[in-house]
Amino acid sequence: MKKVTKEVLKSNAEKLMFEMSDEDLDLLVNEFGVIQEQMSLIGEIEGVDETTPMTFPFDVTSTFLREDVASEPLDRELALRNAKDVVDGQIRLPKVVK
Amino acid sequence: MEFEAIIGLEIHVEMKTKSKMFSSGPVSFGEDPNTRVNPVDMAFPGTMPTVNKQAVINAIRVSNALHMDIDDTVIFERKNYFYSDLPKGYQITQQFRPIGSNGYLTIETSNGPKKIEIERLHMEEDTCKQLHSWDFSLLDYNRAGIPLIEIVSRPDMRNGEEAAKYVEKIRSIVTFLDVSDGKMEEGSLRCDVNISLREVGATKFGTKVEIKNLNSLNNIQKAIDFEISRQSIILEFGGQIEQETRRFDEGSKETVLMRVKTDAVDYKYFTESNIAPIKLSKEFIEDAIKTSPELAETKLERYKSFGLNDYDSNLLIADHDISNYYDQGVKSGCSPKLLANWIIGDVQSVLNRDCISIKEFKITPENLGKLVLLIESNKVSNKQGRDIFAEMVNTNEDPEAVMNKLGISQVSDEDELRKVIIEILDVNEQSIIDYKNGKGRAIGFIVGQVMKKTQGKANPALANKIILEEIGRR
Repeated sequence: MKKVTKEVLKSNAEKLMFEMSDEDLDLLVNEFGVIQEQMSLIGEIEGVDETTPMTFPFDVTSTFLREDVASEPLDRELALRNAKDVVDGQIRLPKVVK
Repeated sequence: MEFEAIIGLEIHVEMKTKSKMFSSGPVSFGEDPNTRVNPVDMAFPGTMPTVNKQAVINAIRVSNALHMDIDDTVIFERKNYFYSDLPKGYQITQQFRPIGSNGYLTIETSNGPKKIEIERLHMEEDTCKQLHSWDFSLLDYNRAGIPLIEIVSRPDMRNGEEAAKYVEKIRSIVTFLDVSDGKMEEGSLRCDVNISLREVGATKFGTKVEIKNLNSLNNIQKAIDFEISRQSIILEFGGQIEQETRRFDEGSKETVLMRVKTDAVDYKYFTESNIAPIKLSKEFIEDAIKTSPELAETKLERYKSFGLNDYDSNLLIADHDISNYYDQGVKSGCSPKLLANWIIGDVQSVLNRDCISIKEFKITPENLGKLVLLIESNKVSNKQGRDIFAEMVNTNEDPEAVMNKLGISQVSDEDELRKVIIEILDVNEQSIIDYKNGKGRAIGFIVGQVMKKTQGKANPALANKIILEEIGRR
């Protein structure tokens, strides 16, 4: 398991374009330390690598498929109510691509 | 050094379902921004995805047309990445168990037929549309969640022509199966090209360059041909190909650098836990295939069985909407051959003249079929048919009603016509003498007189026959 260090966190924060204070980094390194320690305990269980990961609590399948019927869309104002900056009915964001 | 290009294609096809892939949000194009979204599309907390049945049916039909193995268990994964085109922070896709796998299609190239293998076909959802300005981006979520199928070929193509033919064939399949309108210029069929060069005879692949967002068959061919020559020059001079993403610039007809790929992005795929695996019954899969619309190749065979030649058949199937129009018209019971002639000739010239598509053409296929029936049964001549057609183009009135309104009818009653011809021959002795002396053109004069007398209503073929009979008797 890759150890989560201050450097790893800093690099990820940079990729996601936000800054983290030393205090934040210390807090997260500490929290990840606890989580990783617990995970390593699971790693000690014999044969765990050969076990297929479970996504669902029960091994069941469904047959449900939704009929292709369109419903009424949201009212635009309602749909965009949480957006901070709306221009001409569109959400405006700082450009992050070249 | 001689190089060969190794080309693989990824095609995204936007389906024309009524609702979205994982929500009942409506799918329609050209609407005002953010007016076609529902809470699932916007990833509002607590919303849960449900799988669109028609999208699954469509994916089965395309997989079948591409001779693929169809997985009877539908499982989705989350592709995690952080970007504003994804409200959820992940895209629901099929990474590990695509619904279709190991298929192929055969393309016709200038060097003969070639089999292109297809690795996989999977379902996923489209992202939102972003409009980039110089310092900000605008987001329109109408497109977010529209069902997509992605078709990934194996790197079996070697030049621009083969790639363009491959895309053309995929486009024909998805449009004839009514899965998509397949319009590249509007983004409902999008194509990314992966291309690398290697020395002829080498087994190892060269460094791969991706060309994105090619919006026409022509541009696919041009972009690939340009890229082959660009990479050849670099390699020829001992340079190295960078792993990068490029786009085709319409103006300069060149590919230009978008970004250099550094480390591979890790999407941290894992099972979409909000959708339990869906088991498709054998009957469901078989029924989807059995009720599938006709493919272009099957239509072509059917048209040929009507007596249409290759050229005319291909003209009709070149446009899915025109071939559908033709199929509707044939149902009227008219001659398929005559109807094809009308569509390829008169209808097409109106479409060209008015710059409209067949969908905007006023005359319904049923009424065009009726008009052809009137001509076939000699109720009107071809020329009169054209007069009726000219009127119908603006009104889509019933052709028989137009015929009565314009007072058009063809005299096909033999006795009636014979009476008129005898009268004309009686006063045109000289023409009979001329004809008998070998002046074949004299007959034309008599026909002209018959038309004048009947105000153009005489059936020309019948008139000709009677004239010859009557002259023979004198």
